[in-house]
Amino acid sequence: MKVNIHLNKRVAVIGAGMTQFRRRILETPQEIAWEASSKALEEAGLELKDIECVVIGSAPDAFDGVNLKGEYLSHGSGGIRKPSSRVFVGGATGVMAAITGWYHVASGMCNTVLVVAEEKMSPARPHPQSVFRYIWDPILEKPLNPNLIWIFAMEMHRYMATYGIKKEEIALVSVKNKRNAANNPYAQLGGNITVDDVLNSEVLVWPVQLLDISPVSDGGAAMVMASEDVARRYSDTPIWVDGVGWTLDNTEWPARDLAYPRYLEFAARMAYKMAGIENPYKELDVIEPYDPFDYKELHHIEGLRIAKRGEAPKLLKEGVFDIDGDIPSSPSGGLLGVGNPIAAAGLMKVISIYWQLKGTAGKMQVKKPVHTGLAQAWGDLMQASTVIIMRN
Amino acid sequence: MSWEKEGKEGSLLKWYDIMEAEKYEYTVGPAGERFFQGLKENKIVGSKCKKCGKVYLPPRIYCEDCFTKIEEYVELKLDDAYLDSFTTIYQNDDGQKLTEPVHIGLLRFKGVNGGLFCYLEGTPKKGGRIRVSNFNYPLRISIE
Ligand SMILES: [Zn+2]
Repeated sequence: MKVNIHLNKRVAVIGAGMTQFRRRILETPQEIAWEASSKALEEAGLELKDIECVVIGSAPDAFDGVNLKGEYLSHGSGGIRKPSSRVFVGGATGVMAAITGWYHVASGMCNTVLVVAEEKMSPARPHPQSVFRYIWDPILEKPLNPNLIWIFAMEMHRYMATYGIKKEEIALVSVKNKRNAANNPYAQLGGNITVDDVLNSEVLVWPVQLLDISPVSDGGAAMVMASEDVARRYSDTPIWVDGVGWTLDNTEWPARDLAYPRYLEFAARMAYKMAGIENPYKELDVIEPYDPFDYKELHHIEGLRIAKRGEAPKLLKEGVFDIDGDIPSSPSGGLLGVGNPIAAAGLMKVISIYWQLKGTAGKMQVKKPVHTGLAQAWGDLMQASTVIIMRN
Repeated sequence: MSWEKEGKEGSLLKWYDIMEAEKYEYTVGPAGERFFQGLKENKIVGSKCKKCGKVYLPPRIYCEDCFTKIEEYVELKLDDAYLDSFTTIYQNDDGQKLTEPVHIGLLRFKGVNGGLFCYLEGTPKKGGRIRVSNFNYPLRISIE
């Protein structure tokens, strides 16, 4: 391990669990959290009494429609009568929950942490999009009634214009991720689609079309993290967290460079430094960049400095990011294929890398041997990014 | 310094708006469905952990201590019911006096985890047998 900062404890992931990601799940948010949590404990071989602290990740309260959602979810997350806390950085929450679990252990405070992320997007009417209605500046932006689709359409268009990227190049992300998701037993929207299917799908807000976007989903994900001594006792294949990074950029949309995710570059640099990674393209074996929209996966691959600015589409076309490529990207199927219950989707990405490094990803397992993986999420007012690097 | 004291209404620049979703549709979940189905049959249903024997009201599909799945549903007996606490409300949320005060009771059952808030009819008192006059949620109860 080449960690560059002082840590009290080395941290491993020793178990993970997920619910199915689905359009409308019957179970309550607490029950969704419990299902994921109990599966994670089972995989780790621990019981709830062995868990010292609980970290809960959940995005806006307004999705599930319960205020103080961290407290509400603690019941199903095993957090009752334990030091429990909730983290929230919008879409970046899922990976931030894992990072928070990591520093609970790395600091020496706890030996075992249960990290739980849950989102139920289905209760809000008329559409969960309305939950985002008030994340904008109330005076300068809100009067134009921004929504997440048109604001990202703006970013996608700038990205395309800056580097001369075509829609058909971006559509390949959707094709790849939905194809990968067909191998994922938890996925909502796996399947074989073509670039033409994406280009012929309904135009929502130009240049964003229906198949450019991840679906609205309910779901939960959970992970058990432990200090080295505990991890070695319970697992023959602990997966080590070797680097974490997170950054917040300016929330002011008109003031940001839309072609390049600077917030992510900073978060990635922090994580690479900690993990001792100098050349991410050469040193990373498998990645899960955040992909609520297809162009975002490419945008993020560039922010992660795996591809030069504007060159991720070229590598994608060459097959570098395919399941049998040099750096398989979103082998889980990503948010585009598995579904997007916000915080749970971010933690799902971390779990995907954990299973890949452990070699238990089943039909999702990438073809080449993998030793270093990265998961990333993005959110808040679209300017927060979180990165985690793991090794086996 | 607060502008309420210093400023004049109309001379300040303000922006008015409302927040978020219009309404919510919540699912009650599998245990919730058993509970509400029970109420339709004038029954109060809890769920019982196989591992530690704890009974939960309202029923849950998992035990918060053992974290195991609960599959057994049990009908709770009114003989075991008691009023854990009650209160009487004289004002509404806006601070206006109610024409009739409202009594709220916390209904619990011996040996059962949890309970239900109910409307309490008649004069609240300690002890006494619980009677349920209306099983539609929220329940209406009285003490004999
Ligand atoms: Zn129990």
